[in-house]
This record gives sequence, C-alpha cells and structure tokens, in this order.
Amino acid sequence: MQIYLPIAEISVNLFLLLGLGIGVGFLSGMFGVGGGFLMTPALILIGVPPPVAVSTQANQIVASSVSGALAHFRRKTLDVKMGLVLLVGGVIGSTSGVFLFSLLQRLGQIDLVISLSYVGFLGSIGALMFIESVNAIRVRRKLARGGQMPRRGRRKRNWIDTLPLKTRFPVSGLYMSVIPPIVIGLLVGILVAVMGVGGGFVMVPAMIYMLRMPTNVVVGTSLFQILFVTALTTFLQAAQNQTVDIVLAFLLIVGGVVGAQLGARAGAKVKAEELRAALAIIVLAVCLALAWGLVATPNEFYEIIEAGGQAT
Amino acid sequence: MTRYLRHLFAAVVLAAWAAFAAHGAPPEGDPPPADILAALTEETVQIRSNFAGAEITLYGAVRGFEEGDDIAIAVRGPARDVRVMQKVRTLGIWINRAPIRFESVPGYYAVAATAPLSEFASFSALRRNSLGTGHVYLSAPETESLETRFGVSDVRVSTLGAEIVDYREALVRIKNRDGLYYEASDGVELIEGGLFSAEVRLPPRTPVGIYQADVYLFRDGEPIASRRVALRVEKAGIERLIYEMAHNSPLAYGLVAVILAVVSGWGAAEIFRRR
Repeated sequence: MQIYLPIAEISVNLFLLLGLGIGVGFLSGMFGVGGGFLMTPALILIGVPPPVAVSTQANQIVASSVSGALAHFRRKTLDVKMGLVLLVGGVIGSTSGVFLFSLLQRLGQIDLVISLSYVGFLGSIGALMFIESVNAIRVRRKLARGGQMPRRGRRKRNWIDTLPLKTRFPVSGLYMSVIPPIVIGLLVGILVAVMGVGGGFVMVPAMIYMLRMPTNVVVGTSLFQILFVTALTTFLQAAQNQTVDIVLAFLLIVGGVVGAQLGARAGAKVKAEELRAALAIIVLAVCLALAWGLVATPNEFYEIIEAGGQAT
Repeated sequence: MTRYLRHLFAAVVLAAWAAFAAHGAPPEGDPPPADILAALTEETVQIRSNFAGAEITLYGAVRGFEEGDDIAIAVRGPARDVRVMQKVRTLGIWINRAPIRFESVPGYYAVAATAPLSEFASFSALRRNSLGTGHVYLSAPETESLETRFGVSDVRVSTLGAEIVDYREALVRIKNRDGLYYEASDGVELIEGGLFSAEVRLPPRTPVGIYQADVYLFRDGEPIASRRVALRVEKAGIERLIYEMAHNSPLAYGLVAVILAVVSGWGAAEIFRRR
C-alpha cells in the first residue's frame, strides 16, 4: 500500500515505513540509543530528500526521548541545572545549525556535508565503542579466571579546571566552569540540525569523560537536553526550511514506539558488553556504507538542485 | 434575439481568435487547412494520500486530416529554476561543483506522437516548438552572451562552449530517470478520420501546478495547426491541508509537529507502562 508524503512529495510503501520504524526502534530499545543515526541514512536511501529526512527525524526523536526524560525526571536521575546549561549551548547550536543547513542546501552541498559528518562521527564513535567493549569483555574474562581489576589512576587537574565562570552543580556533585557544557551543548545542537540525530552518542561519552558527571544522571540529563533541542530544531526547520513532514514523522513514531518496547525486552537478555560490541559493528557498517557512497564512482555525474522557489 | 445571437457569435469568434493568437496567427486570407479539437479525460489531477502517479488520456479530432499527416503532443509542467551541478572527484570523494542555473525549466515534459518525431518533422520545426526531449528549451542566461557571428547580430553563444551540452543532456537524463521527462514515438493512437488519443503518464513525483498540453498537426515537415489544453495538478484533502499549513503558517505547523510528537511519545509510553 503506497502512501504519499505531503512534504517529501514522494510516494512510499506504508509497510516499508512502519517496518523501518519498528526495526530502528527495536535496535534503539535494545541498545538504549536514539537510533537517529540509523534512521536518517535509511530514509535517504528509500528516496526521502535529505533535508526532509533530517528535519523529520528530529521530530521523531522528540517523541522517542519524551518518555525517557519524564521517567528520569520522576526518578530524580536528572541534573536539571546541568541540563539547562547544556540547553543554552544547544539552543545556539541548533539555531545556527538550521541556518547553516539552508545555506548548504542553497549551495548544493548538503548531501555531501550530511554524508561526511556521518562518516566522521560514526567512524570514530564506532571504533571507540568497539575497542572499549572488546577491552571490557577481556577484563571480564580475566576476572572470571581470578585476575585483578585494573586500577584507575587518580584524576588529574587539567585545562578544563582552569576555565572561568565556575558554578556548583549539586546533583552531579561538581564545581566547574559553565563553558565546557555550553560548548558540548552547542556542538550537539549543530549535529541535531545538520544530521537529524539526537546526539546522545556524542553527549554521553563527553559527559562521562570530559565533564566527569556521575553515570547515574548522565542518561537522564542527556535525554532532557535532547528533548528540548530536537523540539526546537523541529520548530526551526519547519519555520525556516519547511522540511518537516508530519505524516512521515507520525508513521516513524508509531513504528519506533512498538519497536523500542520489543527491543528493550530482547536487550534485557543479552550481556551489556556484547550488546555494545554489536552496536559498534552496526555503527561501523553504516559508516562504511556511507563512505562507499562518497568514494564510489557514481552512475550519474550530474545532479539537479531544485532552486526551491527563490534562487540565490 | 438578434442581439443574443450577435453576442454568441462574438464570443465564439473571440474564443477562436484567442486560441489562434496563442500560437501565432494563421496565414492571412487563406482559410486554415486544418483544425484541431482536443480535451483531457481529467482536467484536474488530485494528489491525495494514496497518490502513486496518474494516467490521463488526451483525446480529440482533427478536421481536415489527410493521409500522411502526423500528430504530436507535448505536455509541459510548471516551470522552475534549477541548478545542475557536476560531480568532480576531489581528494578521493565526489563533490558537486560548477553549478549552472537554468531558468524556467519545465518540471514535467512529455512528448507523444504517431511516429518518431524526426520521421515527420523538420529539425527546425522541432527546435522552434521545442518538441522532443532533445529540443526542450533550456536556457542558462548566466553562461550566455550575445555576439555577432557570420554577420548575424545577437547570436546567443554559450561561454562554456561544448560543455553546456553535457549539462543540458544531464538535466534531461536525470528528469527522464525520475519519469518526469519522456518521449513516446508511438504514444498517439490514430483511430480513424482524424480521431486520436494519447496516454499521459504522471509519475508520483509530478510537480504541482498548471500544465499545458499542446497538440500539433504536422504536414510536410511543418506544423500546420495546433491546439492547447490546460491541466491542473493539485494536492487535495489532508495532503493539501498539511502542505498549505507548512508553507503558509510555518510557525504554527512547527508547533503542531512538536506537540504531536510529545503527545504521541508520552501517550505511547503510558500505554506500555500500564500493561
């Protein structure tokens, strides 16, 4: 059954879209990630114009992060102050990202920038995750054989501690400058606008390793920031570029919700390290597929860029 | 009564004059050698949520049709400016470079005829009426200059030289791949005594707007009569509502999109929590 998407202006199979939503939702429920980094390339692959795919995906992440953010808020595993500081950066990043997006669209380079950012981010994140999970599996095996847990060195003072504008974050138990969280929020905001991802895969490691936040509040705080930044991005993309497709977003939300529930149940049965290694392999596979698209000789050496009403 | 008739007569003459004026006046004095009547099975194509392309029939009759005459029809969609970019390998990856802007490119262009175009029409007639995918009028004003060549002034010359041809061909090729440009040399069916019909395929990607279908009667390589009918492609129902809201009140649309996502995400989580 075909369904016509009013903003994407293409006709797509309804069950393909629902299946895609369930599939990506399953993976995101299983691995506890947003899934935007898988959904956006998949949408582009089935013919959704990249600007519509990225903006609509931001809209879908609003739905997938709202329930998680609420749950963490209820359980108080969320540093609201840190979230708000991240959000300040996020708002600046997302706003400039949306304008950067329309500029790149006019220059005809948006597809290239989307692909390049995906290859760069997925490549480095996937490689880091893979190395980390393989090490974790090794350590676990060693422990099982009666080995000793490797000792962590005492944390040293570094350049982050020398920055001004220090403030206290009571929930995280930190006393630090607001500049690093604002910069992290800003970078993630740009990622949301340009790549259509929540940015959790960048923010969570940054919060743990750079801000040294306690792990129990990291996920909740990152979901809090993602919820507001994706909501703002959706609004701005709709206002500036008219690229949010409500019909597409709704179908992805429906599929995603069902898939996430199934995935969460399946994920509970698998060990965390193996799960992370599997996710790393998926991330690297998507990265390689996109990289291949950049370097492989194309079938068509020309491309048409619709001027979108007013030409520059 | 006589006044009524006079009005009616005036209206008919006016309509006929308007139809001819649109295609240049016929040679003065001579009665037109032939005349075309044409209509579409649907004058409005509506894009609804189950739209997956459409097929409509253009049919009509030629008065004064003679053995050996040929019919060609051209359907042109709403014109837009587009840019064509060339992919160039830079540091190992393919990057879009060297954009060329083409003005008023038809978003849809279909030609159907009773025989291959070059068999019954002269090259200049095809070029003049931009008939055939090789003759679509594609103008890139930024790359053109007017020069005097061989003593002829104001000759349009591309500053790109032969390269512009590659761009033009690429534009037609890409549109053809998407089903938006095509040429069917046996697309017009002659029934008998000048009755004809042709199928027009609109792909799912077909642009919204006013289309013009021109019917040409060819005799001895030249078009001797033509007729234009209009076709409208529009979004309808919920698709139209959404599209218009997104473009006319983008702020409200953005808010609705966010609220919809918050409510459905939260609602779904509640449903699963209860179970």
